Amino acid sequence: MTSLVSARGVSKRFGAVRAVDNVSFDIEKGKILGLIGPNGAGKTTLLKAVLGLTDCEGDLSVLGFNPFRQRKQLMQNICFIADVAVLPRWIKVSQLLDYVEAIHPNFSRKRAEELLRQTKIMSTSRVKELSKGMVTQLHLSIIMAIDAKLLVLDEPTLGLDILFRKEFYSNLLNDYFDEERTILITTHQVEEIENLLTDIMFINDGKILLDSSMDSLSDTYVELMTSGDAAKKAHGLRPIAEHEMFGKSVMLFEGVSRDHLEGLGELRIPSVADLFVAKIKEARK
Amino acid sequence: MDPKWNEEQPIYRQLRDRVVAMILEGVLGDGDALPSVRNVAAEYRLNPLTVLKGYQELVDEGLVEKKRGRGMFVNEGARKELLKAERGRFLDKEWPKILATIERLGLEVSDLLQQETNKDSGVDND
Repeated sequence: MTSLVSARGVSKRFGAVRAVDNVSFDIEKGKILGLIGPNGAGKTTLLKAVLGLTDCEGDLSVLGFNPFRQRKQLMQNICFIADVAVLPRWIKVSQLLDYVEAIHPNFSRKRAEELLRQTKIMSTSRVKELSKGMVTQLHLSIIMAIDAKLLVLDEPTLGLDILFRKEFYSNLLNDYFDEERTILITTHQVEEIENLLTDIMFINDGKILLDSSMDSLSDTYVELMTSGDAAKKAHGLRPIAEHEMFGKSVMLFEGVSRDHLEGLGELRIPSVADLFVAKIKEARK
Repeated sequence: MDPKWNEEQPIYRQLRDRVVAMILEGVLGDGDALPSVRNVAAEYRLNPLTVLKGYQELVDEGLVEKKRGRGMFVNEGARKELLKAERGRFLDKEWPKILATIERLGLEVSDLLQQETNKDSGVDND
């Protein structure tokens, strides 16, 4: 088995709405995949299907299991943080550790306690006494103490300040990630994570607009800043997006080699955010 | 603490350039260890593969050496080799442009040296 997650023709309908519309993709071991899409694109529904929290049409296999029917086996090797806090407000940190230790075979209490010692969270604190950032720290400490093959993060840093967000990703790379582990992450703050991804997927209206490794992204997409005659010439090469800035044209090309564009102006690697906006506009045409 | 990456070059390439600059400045000496891939990845929030790719460039150029299980180390004579290459590059690529400017502006060698002397003695040349 090479793919950790394999989806073929996966759809999920809510009445007449297709939240996920016939998508196919693979996620391989050791990847950090960013799932990027506007609100209501179907990201969370797709994650739920991967986690077995909802059934779906089509073939979906996660770690070799059918997530919906074999959820129990799946959960032993998978962990996730949802975009909404789900820890009960009344629970004490020590009780929470007791609970996870009792239900999860791959949870290391020692590891969780080590991670918590790096924070200001006390084992006697109750969840309701913690700040939003601390609740996320608590959640993350538990998640990172679970020896899982797949970690799913749905907007993990929503509502957290910039210091905490940076620390979150640093910890993730330092204490958690290795080539045996795979991370699937969704966020709106693309610019914060684009450098740590190995792969990226854009989703809009339930469909995949782009599914690529970050390496081939910079080969496939080029941004050109140009003006005058060169701009006219470049325009003939059919950019997928174009806008004016300080009297210069900024064009985004897909599948046009750098050699063709060299000499027409300044070449740059487009940011994921710019690419995302261009692809969404293209899809909505 | 956060490095500013530019959009002209891939990050692994910029990382390579940064290490090269550190070797040239003498921040990293012969035999010194490079920071671990994991540390650099965590510190800059980069994918570890990106860091590894940058380091691999340095290995391919013979500037650093990978020691199994211990990390990456600056090779003996790396700075010397780099200086040689950098001097060559300066004379080939940059100097002709600077020379062209000097000639266009009609500057004499004495003007240039005068400028340097003034700077050394702290005279304001405004």
